[in-house]
Amino acid sequence: MAGLPRFSASLTSAAVAPVEGFTPPTPRIAAIRAKLLSTPYSICLERPKLMEEFWSSREGRRSAKLEHPLVHRALTLQYIFSHRKPRIYDDEIIIGNMTSKRIAANYYIEGGSINILEDFARLGKRTIPLKLTIQETAGVLHLGLKNAFKSVGAKALLKPGRLSYFLDFFRAKRHFVTEEAGIGHQVGNYWMVVHEGLRGPYGEAKQRLEEGRLADGSRLDADQRAFFSSVLITIDGIRKMAENLAAEAEHLAQMKGESEQRRAELLAAAAACRRVPFEPARTYLEGLQATWLIHMALNLEDFEQGLSFGRMDQILLPLYRSDVELGRLNTGQATEMTACFCLKTCETMPLYSQRVDQFFSGNGVAQAFTLGGTDEKGNDLTNELSGLILDAYAQVLTREPAVHVRIHPATPEWFFQKSVELLQMGTSRPSFFGDTAVVRALQEAGMTREHARDYAVIGCVEMASQGRTYNSSDAALFNLPLCLELALNEGRRFHGKARIEGRRRFGAPTPPVSTMKTFDDVLDAFRAQVRHGVDDMVKVIGWLEEVYRTIRPTPVNSILTEGCLETGKDVTWGGGLYDYTSIQAAGLADAGDSLYALKRIIFDQKRFSLDEFVGILQDNFRGREDLRVELASKLPRYGNGDPDVDHMTQLAADAFSDALSAHKNSRGGRYVPGFYSMTCHIGFGRVTGALPNGRPAGRRLSNGLAPVDGCDRMGPTAVLRSAASLDSRKWMNCHALNLKFDRQIVQGKTGRKALVSLLKNYFALGGMQVQVNILDTETLKAAKRDPASYPGIVVRVAGYCAYFNDLQPAVQDEIIERTAHGIT
Amino acid sequence: MVSPEPLVFSLQHFCLHDGPGIRSLVFFKGCPLRCPWCQNVESWKAGSEIAFKPALCINCGTCVRKCPEHALAEVGTRDTTRCRGCFTCIDSCPSGAMTLFGVQRSPEDVVEELRPEFSLFTTSGGGVTFTGGEPTLYPDFSARLARSLRTEGIHIAMETCGFFDLKRLRPLLRELRLVLFDIKIYDREQHRQMCGADNTVIKKNLKALVEAGSGQGAPAVWPRLPLVPGLTDGQDNIKGWAGFLRSLGISFLTIVPYHPMGASKRRWLGLPAGPELRVPTDAEIQTAGGLFSAEGIMTYKPGEEPFPEDSIGPAQGLPRDLPGAAHDRRVEHRGLPTDGHGPTGLNTPR
Ligand code: SF4
Ligand code: SF4
Repeated sequence: MAGLPRFSASLTSAAVAPVEGFTPPTPRIAAIRAKLLSTPYSICLERPKLMEEFWSSREGRRSAKLEHPLVHRALTLQYIFSHRKPRIYDDEIIIGNMTSKRIAANYYIEGGSINILEDFARLGKRTIPLKLTIQETAGVLHLGLKNAFKSVGAKALLKPGRLSYFLDFFRAKRHFVTEEAGIGHQVGNYWMVVHEGLRGPYGEAKQRLEEGRLADGSRLDADQRAFFSSVLITIDGIRKMAENLAAEAEHLAQMKGESEQRRAELLAAAAACRRVPFEPARTYLEGLQATWLIHMALNLEDFEQGLSFGRMDQILLPLYRSDVELGRLNTGQATEMTACFCLKTCETMPLYSQRVDQFFSGNGVAQAFTLGGTDEKGNDLTNELSGLILDAYAQVLTREPAVHVRIHPATPEWFFQKSVELLQMGTSRPSFFGDTAVVRALQEAGMTREHARDYAVIGCVEMASQGRTYNSSDAALFNLPLCLELALNEGRRFHGKARIEGRRRFGAPTPPVSTMKTFDDVLDAFRAQVRHGVDDMVKVIGWLEEVYRTIRPTPVNSILTEGCLETGKDVTWGGGLYDYTSIQAAGLADAGDSLYALKRIIFDQKRFSLDEFVGILQDNFRGREDLRVELASKLPRYGNGDPDVDHMTQLAADAFSDALSAHKNSRGGRYVPGFYSMTCHIGFGRVTGALPNGRPAGRRLSNGLAPVDGCDRMGPTAVLRSAASLDSRKWMNCHALNLKFDRQIVQGKTGRKALVSLLKNYFALGGMQVQVNILDTETLKAAKRDPASYPGIVVRVAGYCAYFNDLQPAVQDEIIERTAHGIT
Repeated sequence: MVSPEPLVFSLQHFCLHDGPGIRSLVFFKGCPLRCPWCQNVESWKAGSEIAFKPALCINCGTCVRKCPEHALAEVGTRDTTRCRGCFTCIDSCPSGAMTLFGVQRSPEDVVEELRPEFSLFTTSGGGVTFTGGEPTLYPDFSARLARSLRTEGIHIAMETCGFFDLKRLRPLLRELRLVLFDIKIYDREQHRQMCGADNTVIKKNLKALVEAGSGQGAPAVWPRLPLVPGLTDGQDNIKGWAGFLRSLGISFLTIVPYHPMGASKRRWLGLPAGPELRVPTDAEIQTAGGLFSAEGIMTYKPGEEPFPEDSIGPAQGLPRDLPGAAHDRRVEHRGLPTDGHGPTGLNTPR
């Protein structure tokens, strides 16, 4: 579309006018995108190789022996940062390679990645193939085996008395502790990075070391001294990484045959990397480049999940406006730069074996932008850059990055419209967050109102006050309905795979059902099982977090988190201003519906004795299909605006929230709950027995905050009403509510208007989060049959977007089958 | 003979194509016409009907065992001469395969089910649409229901086949803001053969409504044509209707493409299969649109109509002298216009 600029360059956000339609990608964006979409996935072994190289060097051996673990870790990271090979790809104007391949997963020997060895013999033949040379495949095997005992999980759990917890990683049932793989998940202080540069924390750390005291005057102890040293060492490493990139760009600019324009672009990128992230950024381009370099460092430091950019429409706004005012940037250029930045996020992916993939299908890592929202006083901050970033994403429409928008009563109409218009393009972006509910939950979790209002989304749906929070979110996922199964069977599963396992009690020894006389007895047993499961999980997480502090501290993360430089502590040591560990529960609606069914059938209608009914469940409704179908189709369900069932869902949620909030994490922070499940509801479902709501054994559980599939009988308005009616104050880690619409229903102006109204109404009712998938089932079926012809279809799986083709067949089926709202 | 208290066979929410904004639809049972392309054949008979949905049936045999009249010789085949409508089979069927179309509901009951949607009607400029079947078969009930809704500030529209007794409809029409008026076959004889009734009265009613529509307190009228290849898309038919609409001063029309979504319903009800019909292609829809526009009639897709200003927006509440909480709600719902006059001066007490 001609007629740029589309946004007023004026300095008041009020002057921004809504504009219909998005511009098509520029040739540059189209070219980079096409390249990325046709690049096979791989595994990058550069990081582990450099690590080993350092550890076996004289310096590495010395530091391992003599230095504080924080310093040793920082030296290791510095070595990686400064020795990795810079790679700059065609057409890029934001530079900095995530790995040594165009698209690859990093192999993190400290944890997590080792699960890929389960697929060792068939890397190229997996549902999602990984392309490696024979030497590389051998390298993976070698690395994996050699370092198997160096991972956080192994160090924490391969100990007497903990072995069975280690094995739990391979037989996840009640919970899946993801923290074994890494903590990641952060929205760092990018305001500082962009506007002050690392010079700030560098100077601060130096001063602390010189004075031997904290800013408050207290003397540094050995740990604190090591921390401040780790800051200096790490920043030096990041500078070197930036300089290497600059040198490479300069080198490429010298190459014969480069066009004048390309030469200028490369030199501009080089100049930016010579300056940022150490010095403050002066231009929009430098702001993006600084952010990207820090993002790379975070990826190389811990692991890739959930590393997010925060409120970029606020952070970059001053630079954008001054560039525009000085006439050195127009909206078209800024959009293209931002789109280039977005495409950089496509270079990374997680490393999951097929087994693990059923829990986290989709290859998403959720590098998130948060747009819109308010200042600390509650005034709207939505501005022209909020719209421009939507424009930029509309040019790429890729799985990464994630785009989240904050909605509050004063969200401008144009921004709402534009967000929904982007949604209509079918990538399920953006997802929507209700400021009122989110801020309330964050305050409830101990944040000041001002800090809560400066929240940004981590990854899919998790929460941080940006640059002030160590959330270690997604530390584990919890199977809520299984606790009901255990409650009905004295802490045993109905049917284990093996007889022995079936008899093994792995829940709490709650009373036999024959002694349960009232519904409250059942509820008590359920709560006891939830507590028991949570206790167990928290124990494991505590062990992991201990190990983290010594072998995997995260100085980059600490530099970006307020509180660490003030206290002289790494985030893994509890340095963050706000510290949480957050856990997600899967299967909430199944749990709620099942409680309701028990109460109604057994205790109100007295159709069976509890004993008898549990016998039927243990037999997985064998011979009682009529009863199963009746329970599934005739009883009221959560998601239809029925206060009685919705109340049971609340009880199930409270059981989890209460059990969790009784614990403190190993850093003294709080445990906080969230309700979403990635694709864990599928993996957990496989190991969960029959449920009182008529769900047969093995079937996937309900997803996040959504109703059980197909049980939203009254349409999307009732789903949103039910969801909004739940008390979300304790849900610091938010939830994922997936709504699916057939494309036909919500296309065009009519659909847009309807969606805007629907969402507005939901947030007016107190809704916290919602994400919308716009799909047509025909397309998806075709894509499943013939993946090659449909490379770019993005769907939202739980909290994040994924390429449809990357999903496991079972997940694909779910997407296809699930109610497409509006079809009668 | 139609019972004075109608049966409602469905309430549907989040509908975007039956009037402005987000709407809930109230489906009335009973229809005077029998159009072969009908997608809601369960609406035809005014009385309640027992249906069987084979796809849901798990073959448990409960219905057969429990029928006191032994009217079910086997699953899914009901001897209608024996059945006395006790609904035991429906209550005892675990899967919902045996199901009932049409239950009696009071206006209050319907209003309560719709109430949670009210705020959404307000934000989206939507409301409630009466449809069916034929809401006009129950002028008293429809008027009462419409009145209770309007008291709450809810915008009400009605879809009709136009086959009604206008005299009995006045109280209902006063409550409506918009009538979506279905026109089908222009030729009188063909209409009679195809849809089972003469269309003279339909044309007369359309004319009368349009003429009344320009006055105060009467709903706007918006015609719609179901586009069924081979049946309603012929040149003559289109020209006939276009000329008629023009003579009434109407220059717009919604084309509703035929869709076979309700095809299985005939089986559920044990009706013989309908004629083989086909979804119109995009080209056919465009051709029809072209023919209309050549005659000066603009055509629209369902849900995309630019309804006239005075037919949209929240309903005007009842005049002040009426009792109840109506007054407060009315103010709340009316919301936006603050100049003291509605967009069209419609807030003068009717
Ligand atoms: S309605 Fe009653 S009589 Fe008729 S088939 Fe069903 S059970 Fe038998
Ligand atoms: S009771 Fe229902 S499910 Fe069972 S056989 Fe009859 S119709 Fe089928």
